[in-house]
Amino acid sequence: MTLLDVRNLSVSIPTPEGDVHAVRSVDLSIERGEIHGVIGESGCGKTMTGMAMLGLVPQGARIAADRFHFDGEDLSENASRLRGRRIGLISQDPAAALNPVLSIARQMDDVLSAHRDMPRQTRHAEAAALLAATGLPDPEKVLKSYPHQLSGGMQQRVVIAQALATGADFLIADEPTTALDVSVGAQVLALLRRLVSERGLTVLMITHDMDVIAEACDRATVLYAGRSVETGPVDDVLRRPGHPYTRALLAALPDAGPHGARLAAIEGSIPPPRIAIAGCAFAPRCPQAMLVCAAEPPPMRARATHRWLCHLPEDAA
Amino acid sequence: MTVPPMLDVEDLVIRYPARGLFAARPKPAVNGASFRLAKGETLGIVGESGSGKTSLLRAILRLLPVESGAVRLEGQDWLALKGQALRRARQKIGVVSQNPFLSLSPRLTIADILAEPMLAQGDRQGAAMRKKIAGLLADCGLPADFLDRRARELSGGQAQRVAIARALALEPGLLILDEPTSALDVSVQAQILNLLADLKESRGLSMLFVTHNLKVVAHISDTLLVMRHGDVIEFGRTEEVLRAPAEAYTRELLSFGRNAAMA
Repeated sequence: MTLLDVRNLSVSIPTPEGDVHAVRSVDLSIERGEIHGVIGESGCGKTMTGMAMLGLVPQGARIAADRFHFDGEDLSENASRLRGRRIGLISQDPAAALNPVLSIARQMDDVLSAHRDMPRQTRHAEAAALLAATGLPDPEKVLKSYPHQLSGGMQQRVVIAQALATGADFLIADEPTTALDVSVGAQVLALLRRLVSERGLTVLMITHDMDVIAEACDRATVLYAGRSVETGPVDDVLRRPGHPYTRALLAALPDAGPHGARLAAIEGSIPPPRIAIAGCAFAPRCPQAMLVCAAEPPPMRARATHRWLCHLPEDAA
Repeated sequence: MTVPPMLDVEDLVIRYPARGLFAARPKPAVNGASFRLAKGETLGIVGESGSGKTSLLRAILRLLPVESGAVRLEGQDWLALKGQALRRARQKIGVVSQNPFLSLSPRLTIADILAEPMLAQGDRQGAAMRKKIAGLLADCGLPADFLDRRARELSGGQAQRVAIARALALEPGLLILDEPTSALDVSVQAQILNLLADLKESRGLSMLFVTHNLKVVAHISDTLLVMRHGDVIEFGRTEEVLRAPAEAYTRELLSFGRNAAMA
């Protein structure tokens, strides 16, 4: 069942020098119980897409969409009401998400008393149970701690426990492992996977790391210059990428070629967010670009549920 | 006579002082590290937070006292140098850190930033220096019109190129890179890794590349050193470490993500 249904989402931020098109046209369709990765380089609109779902766009920003539905409710009106009730956020830096001068017990209690109708004693037990559910071995000790006494991985587990404490069933995880060591990050991803299967959560995983997509996600959507350019099952997107941009991203990884060989860097840079784009936004950097690419919006190509936008025919991918 | 290695570290022990008069002596941050870096080669140092890799770097930069052991730079007893002699000898090492926007002053022009190390070593301002600075920028893939820009106007990849150019200003033989691509997107990371490979080739540089991402460093390093809890748990030629990692921890780092999922 589709939990999140987004068609042609755009977010523009008016500035004195003209509108900044942070998100130009994003389609996302996320099924209940899946971990859906959103991948792209800095400035591609990943985070702003997530923030739009939380109703946390900058003041004055304009959100438009043909469809912007979460579980049947229109997010353009209800995002701030759903935030913290159904939709939770796990941010990149857990140390910044936690208050440094309050104990974990106090911070868990704040969330529980705001969102759940429970007496104090029950709240303490619930806080300990939630921390235990995120794999923290000694919840009572963690409750007595302050954030600085916990490692980055433990802090991120506390943040996840807080998101669960609100009762949210849809989590937006924005680069949740980027600030962590590889092995700790892998544990946090394993935890998210476990929570998805045990509690029926759904996760939108925003990342720039292909390894995170491969490790944790069921399906993925690739963003470029504020547009969703490719979406499909992770296996298809990573092994048989359709869009030249996805192929270029994969080829730029250090383990893509033989040891010590030159890496395939992507020449050029993403288009500035203020300009209008007529055709395919990737055309100026695309090694396979044709005349039509810069002039006309690319058509949808598809192999089963794997879809991408490109002028090149399916069999060229 | 054989050429001495660029860097020769023997049984290096680094221990931070106890936190109080009667507190127990803490475990060493680096517990007897030994390795060599041959001239013109790249050594990748991998480890998680707290594994001792930053302490090791700081000791090699003489920013941290060592408890015991030896460090020789091109055969010279590096830990014995003091005062002016140390100051002069430090030219032999260039440093690039993780976040170029923290290490480049936002107020200075790129020309000023690149002049700084030369002025500190007593070079004179002038046409010759300006020419050298433009040459450094060109070597790092930046056009000369960057000279009058400021760091805050640059993208992350451009700023990191400026940081590399500055590290090369005094023509060091050894470049120490501390997570130089961790803050960058993969496409920009690829550009920087290519640049480092070019510089290694054209300048015969030796490099110490520190990161927690084994896959990045495995690509460009000749030898690999894996640290954990202060111990060197793996040291050898990169191909050998990758082919037959001796430690479970190394295998775990290698198996994360795409390759494992796609194997």
